[in-house]
Amino acid sequence: MHSSVILYEVPSSPRDTPQHEASRPAVLVCGLHKTVRVGFRARRVEILRGVDFEVRRGDVFGLLGPNGAGKTTSVKVILGLMRPTRGSVSIGVESLADVGYLPENPYFYDYLSGREFLGFCAHLFALDADVRRERVEGLLRDVGLVQAGDLHLRKYSKGMLQRIGIAQALVNDPELVLLDEPMTGLDPVGRVEVKRIIESLRERGKTVLFNSHILSDVHELCSRIAIMREGRVIWTGSVDEALAEAETLEDFFIRVVQA
Amino acid sequence: MRQVRAIAVNTFKETIRDRVLAVIVVFALVMIAGGLWLGSISLGEQGRMMKDFGLAAVTGFGLIVAVFIAAGLVHKEVEKRTVFVLFSKPVSRGAFIGGKFLGLCATMAVVLAGMGLFLFALVGVLDGRASHMVLVATAMIYVQLLTVMAVTIFFSTLGSAILASVLGICVFVAGQLSQNVLSLTRLGKNPLTEALSWVVYVIIPNLAAVDVKAGVVGEQTLAWGQIGLWAAYLLAYMVVVLALAALVFRRKEF
Repeated sequence: MHSSVILYEVPSSPRDTPQHEASRPAVLVCGLHKTVRVGFRARRVEILRGVDFEVRRGDVFGLLGPNGAGKTTSVKVILGLMRPTRGSVSIGVESLADVGYLPENPYFYDYLSGREFLGFCAHLFALDADVRRERVEGLLRDVGLVQAGDLHLRKYSKGMLQRIGIAQALVNDPELVLLDEPMTGLDPVGRVEVKRIIESLRERGKTVLFNSHILSDVHELCSRIAIMREGRVIWTGSVDEALAEAETLEDFFIRVVQA
Repeated sequence: MRQVRAIAVNTFKETIRDRVLAVIVVFALVMIAGGLWLGSISLGEQGRMMKDFGLAAVTGFGLIVAVFIAAGLVHKEVEKRTVFVLFSKPVSRGAFIGGKFLGLCATMAVVLAGMGLFLFALVGVLDGRASHMVLVATAMIYVQLLTVMAVTIFFSTLGSAILASVLGICVFVAGQLSQNVLSLTRLGKNPLTEALSWVVYVIIPNLAAVDVKAGVVGEQTLAWGQIGLWAAYLLAYMVVVLALAALVFRRKEF
């Protein structure tokens, strides 16, 4: 049984309804708004204009949308990297110690080797030394970087960085995994490996939320999706529901986004 | 605590593996050795000249390392977006600032130990006997520079790295002068300027109070009790400034 943590509760949305602990989903985002100030004259720009979605425990959930739709911002707010202007986010795990995150276009400490970097990330969690070592070696194996483990990250290709990024997101064996464009920069072999990792997370009952533009991967991996446009979720449901309305997920996505 | 240690170790690796640091240290060692030449043209004052010039070089190069690395550390994490990795894990902003500072403390300890021991060896060769005061003076320079580093990290959470570097150097210079400025304004007997210089004296860390260079070259008798108290004051000052830096950093979004 998981307890949950409410990251933000800015009770301005009528959708902020309290839920019983046990029935709380892995991620619940209600009426999320985010406004930032940009430029010399601090012009207000609304990035999120009311985002609502729910990720159930054990789901592989795809957050889709064209560039600038607010996918990455939504994920950052879920993680606490940004504060919402309005709305609430709650995650159904103990704390950030049960969350893993891969940022978009990740950049890591290039003066560390892959092995050192994963060791550093493992040190940030309350893990015993033996577990740490085992976890680091296991993850290097899982992402196919055992041979490159002692190479400095500055010598890694983009695909290798993406893979070490996924490994660092899993170093704490998290219950909830947030992956921002996990397939970007990967060659076909790398994509298959990442898909295999996501599938194995699903088999182990973990919850995965990922952003992606590659709809074939979303079709293959996700059980449910939300489609965002201009800071709002404009459609949410299962992949099967989407496919009942169009021949392919791509057709459905284009139809919804252009509607 | 685990997170602070991990970030400190990582910061130490980051700074110690930086080639720019190695270049600065090598250049500093060459400059310190340059004191041998200066000593050779000063009649009968070779040892004194060596200590004087050497400690000034240790301070100058130490300041360059302290300010420029401290100013860039936090910024680099934000600009290169490595903070996403850190703050999506159970790492508080306070642990981040504390870890960065402690890692830099370790780097500065290595840098100053290297320069101090080199100077100690040169002075030993020149004088024919060990001058432990050179090492004590280097330790006091270390305390001064830690204070400047803490202040620079604080400024780097407020503005750009360049601004933080400039302000860090300004605080170092002002910290050498604040006591003298206060004494001078007291002589003027103008209540307004006296009050202003008192405010500056309270805000700016009194770095001159732990400067023992004059004592090392025999120009001044050192009151160790007082120096110890001032060193404790600087340590407390660092804690306050770093706590403020953590508070400012908590407000930041990425």
